Amino acid sequence: MGEPLVVTKQPTDRRAQIIRVCTFLGGIYFFLYWLVPEKFVEAIGLTERHESISNGFIAVGAMAIGLGLFNLISAHGDRIVFRKQGWAYSLALLLGLFSMLIVTIAQWQQGLATTAEVRKSQVIGEFAQRIVEDSEKGASVPPLPVRVEALRRYTGERLAELDATTLAAGGSDGPFQDEVRSAASSVRLSLAGLSAVGGDALSPEGKQALIEVAKAGGKLGATESTLLRNRSAATTVHQLYRFLYDGVFNQLGAAMFALLGVYIAAAAYRAFRIRSVESALMMISALVVMMGQISLGQLISDQLPELRQWLLEVPNSAAFRAIRFGAAVAGLMLAVRMWLSIESKSFSSGKGQ
Amino acid sequence: MGGLEHATPGILLTLIIGVWILFSQLRRAERGHEHFIRRIPGIDAVEDAIGRCAEMGRSVVFTTALTDVGPVLYACLGVLHSVAKRSAAYKLKLVVPQYSPEAMAIVEDSVRDAYNDAGRGSSFDPQSIVFLSSEQFAFASGYMGLVHREKAGAAFLFGVFAAEALVLAEAGQQVGARQVAASVSPEQVAFFICTCDYTLIGEELFGASAYLSREPVQVATLAAQDRVKLMFAAIILIGVAQATAAMFFPGAAAWSIERFFTAGWESLSW
Repeated sequence: MGEPLVVTKQPTDRRAQIIRVCTFLGGIYFFLYWLVPEKFVEAIGLTERHESISNGFIAVGAMAIGLGLFNLISAHGDRIVFRKQGWAYSLALLLGLFSMLIVTIAQWQQGLATTAEVRKSQVIGEFAQRIVEDSEKGASVPPLPVRVEALRRYTGERLAELDATTLAAGGSDGPFQDEVRSAASSVRLSLAGLSAVGGDALSPEGKQALIEVAKAGGKLGATESTLLRNRSAATTVHQLYRFLYDGVFNQLGAAMFALLGVYIAAAAYRAFRIRSVESALMMISALVVMMGQISLGQLISDQLPELRQWLLEVPNSAAFRAIRFGAAVAGLMLAVRMWLSIESKSFSSGKGQ
Repeated sequence: MGGLEHATPGILLTLIIGVWILFSQLRRAERGHEHFIRRIPGIDAVEDAIGRCAEMGRSVVFTTALTDVGPVLYACLGVLHSVAKRSAAYKLKLVVPQYSPEAMAIVEDSVRDAYNDAGRGSSFDPQSIVFLSSEQFAFASGYMGLVHREKAGAAFLFGVFAAEALVLAEAGQQVGARQVAASVSPEQVAFFICTCDYTLIGEELFGASAYLSREPVQVATLAAQDRVKLMFAAIILIGVAQATAAMFFPGAAAWSIERFFTAGWESLSW
């Protein structure tokens, strides 16, 4: 104590200054967004962009994941290369990491390919719907017959492609294939109705025909999506992913969680040994809460569940709120200090030396 | 009162008063005023635990668990800096397992600074800041393995914890480590009290760094926190009195603390 306080006048290097400026600028956007009245935010059109800006900040933060990956590889790679103690565990960890990474990337690529394939069919319905909307709005688009012809040609090509690829493949997904075939037939039938669309203005019959194409196209997209997702679920990549994620990772996590049961019993034994007035109080209140929770408690006394409820809602809630309240106020003060870079020596004295 | 997307005049005024209190306390500290901090046995235990590690030649483990970048991490860093500085001075091995990759870079910087401050910058091993996993229970199992392998003499659990709290604390208990925990998660406090030697509750975590370092900026912030808390306590009492009065005198319901905080800018009639 007694050393002179330096709030923002510490000797800093350029790096520290850049960090402070970025912190301030990053914070001031959110502060101003919160500060200005909602009407003003809407008037300047910030409401729509706010989510994108927030996502941008999240994306910057997500870049740090690379740091974690680098640290893992560096720390455990070092242990494996130099055969340090526990190197086998490190090897298992890195093997697990790379297996999961490769399989997840392959699964992701497979998902992208499926989505792209399904999109080709979804476009049929969306295009037909769009033609109807544009005609009703009188949008400046190519003439109606040209667009309808384009729709007819694209749909024909897509259906031929579907027959040659997706529906040509055999396998155990017969019922799904039948649904796609049925949806494709509906599209073909609805295409025949497009002859009702003539001239530059959309007639009620023409509109109805286009709506039929839109419906049939939508159904085709949905059934094809189900078929392709069903097929991808049977691929080795997906099976591997399921094995690693659901079969290994989730089960290990569940096993860790299950350990809690044992640990809670051990911790409860330690806590409930009556060594002082406080532990006696804790023991009694825990007993009341536990007995009030089960039907046996109600058999002992009707008042037990009520007493349990009172313990949870009054003293317990009061204590919880006090803890949360104190922490929130402390967090607020620290947040202001962080934002304005009013730093203590601990965090900046080593910089630039 | 629901979540507030934008400030109301009442909340803005309260915030301005809070920030003014913070700056006035910083100014007082700058003028040489020494704030009093009550003794917190849990924080004194930090030094004892490190001393014990030095005697036994065992390593020190410090985790911020699920804490992400934010005020709580910043509060933990103050304690970590102090722990790292003492560990460096006593030539102890310090291991800081990490859950959040974002926090890891900041933690590494803080520990490196602490080693430099202790005059042992060359002893700093970046690999002592170990990234385990961003998955809760994968992190917990990694932490357990680490504490067992290192046979930690002291384990400090500071920050935000969830269901893994007891798993982490039990791991330290199993190897006989002296454990000090501090959490802003009230649900986990009971587990820590059962398992750890000392537990700091809620805001004590924010005070720990100031208590250990006695740095004027941190101590002044602590003093400001207490004053802001007093202000809020006064507001709560006024609110209770007003709500009670409104039961007997319906006219008193025309103005309420809740309305003061929730009324928007359109309610200002100038």
